[in-house]
Order: sequence, then C-alpha cells, then structure tokens
Amino acid sequence: MPVQGLRTVTSARNGVGAFILQCKRLDFHYCNHGGSSRGMLAFLTQTLPEFARENPQIEVRVAPRHGKHPVIKGQYINGREKAICVRNMEPGEILKKAMILKDASGEKLKRTKKPVTSLNESVRGIWSPYHGDLRGV
Amino acid sequence: MKRLQLQRWSSTVLSPRARTSNKLHQHLYSASLRHQSTVAPLQTESPTQNVIEDASLDLEDPELKLRLDSVHKRKSQLKYPSPPVNAAAESAKLAALHARLYLPSRLPLETLARTLVDVSADPNADFNNESLATLGHDLLTYYTSEHLLATYPRLPLTVIFAAMYAYVGPKTLAAMSKEWGVDVASLPGGEVDPGFLQFKRVEPGTDLSKATKGKGPRPYAEAKNWRKTVTSKIFYDDEFGDPIKGSNEAGAGVPDELARATAVRALMGAIYLHSGRPAAKLFFQQHVLSRSLNISQLFNFSQPARDLTRLCARENFEKPVAKIISETGRLSRHPVFVVGIFSGQDKLGEGAGASLLEARERAALAALKGWYLYSPLNVRVPSSMEEEGAAPWKPAYVDLGEVIS
Repeated sequence: MPVQGLRTVTSARNGVGAFILQCKRLDFHYCNHGGSSRGMLAFLTQTLPEFARENPQIEVRVAPRHGKHPVIKGQYINGREKAICVRNMEPGEILKKAMILKDASGEKLKRTKKPVTSLNESVRGIWSPYHGDLRGV
Repeated sequence: MKRLQLQRWSSTVLSPRARTSNKLHQHLYSASLRHQSTVAPLQTESPTQNVIEDASLDLEDPELKLRLDSVHKRKSQLKYPSPPVNAAAESAKLAALHARLYLPSRLPLETLARTLVDVSADPNADFNNESLATLGHDLLTYYTSEHLLATYPRLPLTVIFAAMYAYVGPKTLAAMSKEWGVDVASLPGGEVDPGFLQFKRVEPGTDLSKATKGKGPRPYAEAKNWRKTVTSKIFYDDEFGDPIKGSNEAGAGVPDELARATAVRALMGAIYLHSGRPAAKLFFQQHVLSRSLNISQLFNFSQPARDLTRLCARENFEKPVAKIISETGRLSRHPVFVVGIFSGQDKLGEGAGASLLEARERAALAALKGWYLYSPLNVRVPSSMEEEGAAPWKPAYVDLGEVIS
C-alpha cells in the first residue's frame, strides 16, 4: 500500500456558501389578564404578522401562559434555548428583543479576543528560527 | 397550490401511478388510492370522505362541526404510516425549513415533506424518499467526483475515496441535516408534523453488519482476510471504497445517520426534478462544496522516501538525494535538523525534525504532497458544459496515475 486515505468529515462554514439562520423557532408567551402583557398583546396583533412574514426561516408559535409575565423564547439549531422576559414593555421594545433573539447564534455569549477567527492556516506561517536570514553570532 | 411543472420523464421517479396512458393500471389502483402523493391523484374525492362531510353537514352548531371534522381528520391521518400530503401546506416547521435553505419556489412543500419520509417509515414507494435519494446520491457523487478529479488530477485513488467520503459521505450529510435544523420524529406516523424527519429506529442490540439481506456484487465477499486491491474497489465497491451491501429487510429500522443522509440526498434529487440542473448545482456548491476540507491532511504514507524514489524514476527525474540544509544542537537534548530532498539542482521538498531520519521522512512527504496536490489553473468541470452559452471544452489535465511501489 503506497498511500492510504484518511477519512474525515468536512466542517461547515456558515455563510461561505449558503447562510443558515441559527434561530429555528420563536415562542411568544402572553397572558390575557395580566397588566404586564398589555404591550405583548398589542405586539402580537400589530407587529408579529409582519415580523413573521419578513422572517420566513423562523417558525413562530404563540401560546398563552396564564398568570405569568410575557416571555419570548428562541430555539436554536445547536439545541440551546434563549428566553427574554418582556414584561411591561411597549411593542417597539418587544420587537427589538425579538430581533436580538433572531440574530443570536444560540451560543453562550463569550468575549472574542482575536479580530479574525478562521479555519485556514496563517498565510505567513509560523516563525521558525532555522529559516530565513541566518546571522552569525 | 400552483400546478407542478414537472419534466415529462420525472414521473417515472416520482410515481408510477402518474402515467395516465394505461387505463387498466388506473382501474386496478383507483380502489386503494392514497390521497397523499406529491403527484396529482387520479381521483380527487374518495367515497369515505364524502360520507364524513354529509354527516357533518346535518349539524347546526358550527363549533361542533369543526371539532367533528378535526376528529375525523385525525382518525384518517392515523391510518397512514406517513403524514398525508395536505398536511404539508399547514406545517409551519416545513415552511420554515424551505425558507431557511433558500429552496427554489418551484420545489413545493409537499415534495419537501416527502424527502423527510424514510423507507423504514413508509414502505410505499410513492410516498417515501427512496427514489429521490437514489437520484440525489448519483448527482452528489457525480458533482463531487468531477470537482475532485478536475481540481486535483494527480490524487491517488485511496485519497479520492477519502475526499468523496468527506464531502458527500453519510456522516457529512447527516451533519449537514443537523446544521439545517432538521429534527427527528420519535416515531413515524400519519399524525406527525411533516416538518420532522421520519424513520423507524434500529432496535437496540441489532447487529448492523448482519441486518442486510442479499449480497453485493463482489465475489468472495465473505472472505475477510483476502487482500482487496484498489482496482477491485473501483469495480465492485461504492463511491467511497466501501463494499456495497444488499438491500435492508422490510420493516427493519435504520440508524439515525443513514436516515438523515438519505433525506439530504432526496432533497438534492427533488431540487433537480423540480427546478432543474442549474438550481441543483447551485445547491450543491452552496451546501456541499462550500464546506472546508484540507485535502493535504487525507494522506497516510507508509514509506514516503521509497515512493518518492519510484516517482522520480518514473518521471525521469534525477535520483532524489537528501541533504542537510541547516541544523542546531546536534549534541543537545533538543536537536533540530532541516533536511531538503534534491533531484539534481531542484529542491523537491523540505522538512524539519528532531532526528535526521525524521527530517528526511518529512521532506519526502512534503515532496510527494507537492506532486499529488498539483492543481491546474482555470479548472473547469465537465458539467459546466451543460450551462447556456458555455465556452468550447478544452481537454482537462489527465495524470498517469499514482506511484505504485
């Protein structure tokens, strides 16, 4: 056997070819009686249909939760869930929160220290003391 | 629903019952027709449905009628092994998946739903994704292999097998479907949301190697200790160099990975059938070729120095000679040698290592990879000739083949 092939799996680069929005589903929970849901009820009737139309990639669910504060929950492709409580908020503020959930990747928030994250090797290579201009000591 | 515009021959893939020419055929099947196919049914109304509607018309209370209707609908759904075709238009999950993958609008939701039904869930060939998956698998492997052969004409066959597996192997396709957000139904059935992937799971403790019946094309396949040559792998085995197994037994479950891979293949076939070749190729480029693969990491050399000598002899190069380019700390605990392999005046490769032997091996490896990973400029694949107004074809670079030692 001169040379054998090693089996691997290609790794995804979201956005290099197609971009897959990571937010799969948004659940809107409201209460019909609670005062904190007033803005949410207005949002559900006025803004949500347009929001859903603009973002067909996201499955939208609306479900009542009696006696609780209104909540938006986002389900993500990586299996995680993010929830934002929107009690006493105006429809405009709720839309901003929904946009936050829509744009999130689903990962835990973490600080990025490098300006670029890449799968590719560095073009310049790793510095080596044995190459280049050797100087006499 | 907009009327589907299918290519004429596509009916053979979608459903044998779409052929309207055979009157006898129609007559035979009209009694047991299932109204859930992705093709237009021969009969629009079934007698049982009429009875249900007549009975519910007598009721005055609209709410009770609605509830009765939903109960009847649920009962009718329960008798099918996979969701009925009219459920596809109501599924939010399916519509979201369609939009998330930027699928062409000519691909209807009903066909997308059909790609998510595995053979193990619904054995009826009119409603599962087997035929679409066969087409999709052929397309995926064709586009991948032509890309690999045109881009890296000197790759050894074992590496091509590995690269094919990396691009369109079942593991990759399963990972892709997970990254698309396709969820799996716990159990298949007519009442399940069609946005879920449906298949029957393998029973715990099943021996997967013995679950298949029939045998592949390779003679003496049961002789495990016999040497399998690479040439015989081209002849008898599949695109990844794996032996072709016989078909699964009816009613047997499938592993999660295989069901997911089949669904992705079926989607590729469905796009090809409904939206044509350009859309299928675009989908392939966006979802398969855009993934990252470092081909230089797929090589596993056993004796690189010997292979390099053979290669130089074949190509009429001067005999390769290893020379020390620089070194440091020969007598210390951490010596480093930089060795280059030269053929006459030309440096073929260079490598650094902690011993002279290691550095020489690395240098030979670099030289061999430099040879095998040659890629011509302005690569064109044969299928690019299918585009409208394509430039005349120039013969692609074809190599002698790998070094055999």
